[in-house]
Amino acid sequence: MSLALDLRHEPVSGINHGKLVMWIFLASEIMFFSGFFGAFIVLRNANIDIFTQSSAEHLNVALASLNTVFLISSSLTMALSIYHLERNNKALFQVFLGITLLCAFGFLVVKYFEYSAKFHHHIYPRTNIFFAFYFLMTGFHGLHVVGGIIPMAWMFVRSFTKKGYTNARRVEVLGLYWHFVDLVWIFLFPALYLLFPTLHP
Amino acid sequence: MSHDHDHGHGNVLPSYYKVFGALMLFTALTVGAAQIHFPASMGQTGVLINLGIGLLIATFKVLMVLYIFMHLKFDNKYLRAFILVPVFLFIILVFALTTLETFHHPF
Repeated sequence: MSLALDLRHEPVSGINHGKLVMWIFLASEIMFFSGFFGAFIVLRNANIDIFTQSSAEHLNVALASLNTVFLISSSLTMALSIYHLERNNKALFQVFLGITLLCAFGFLVVKYFEYSAKFHHHIYPRTNIFFAFYFLMTGFHGLHVVGGIIPMAWMFVRSFTKKGYTNARRVEVLGLYWHFVDLVWIFLFPALYLLFPTLHP
Repeated sequence: MSHDHDHGHGNVLPSYYKVFGALMLFTALTVGAAQIHFPASMGQTGVLINLGIGLLIATFKVLMVLYIFMHLKFDNKYLRAFILVPVFLFIILVFALTTLETFHHPF
């Protein structure tokens, strides 16, 4: 006889809403980057000489590898910071979130040097089709890094205030986003920098 | 049902460190493998091996991040299915890299 909503027949997922919404957003992000990768693959295979030459002669694999290390390390420290916030280890949460932030900034600094080296050699998105893709894809990925830094920095700064930062759920959701930024780079790095096998020795 | 929660059951830290180590190792492997240039006499086979190694390593790395760092291993199975479908479509798409037009050209 209760007027309360009968939930027995409602499909209740049991998944935290913030987390579910982030996963839906990330699924749409996969589609966003799929557009780039699809176009990249078709045009790469149609212009394989320009792509191979541009990548081999102008891209810096060492710097990109360093950036890979930055992102992988930041993924680990992000997971560790959530782990410690869930267990109320405030200091360790701050340490690991701080390292995550440093790695994120490190990534952007390396990207800055990469871009300036390109501009120094008068290489721009209009230079050729490879660099159009290079700047678009790494540019959008870089924007995602910036998009992760902003809430991360806010949480970090808040954690030093009197009130502190205790919302582990929210950091966990940000963590999902941050790992996704790492995932995109895991495919971007080989696609742009590495996978151009030369046919003739 | 000890896997219903993504924390509080057992210690996840060792798996975090293992995944981190594996990601670093695979990064070194993929950079190293890309430096190998197969002789032209191998033709398309060399190209396929080179691309295949890179893409397989990237796929393993992505699955490790999804399952461990992003807790998909411990999550609701519907959520897991929901995210794995676009991920696998994406991975299939990326493997289209191996459909190089040089397939049609003799070396």
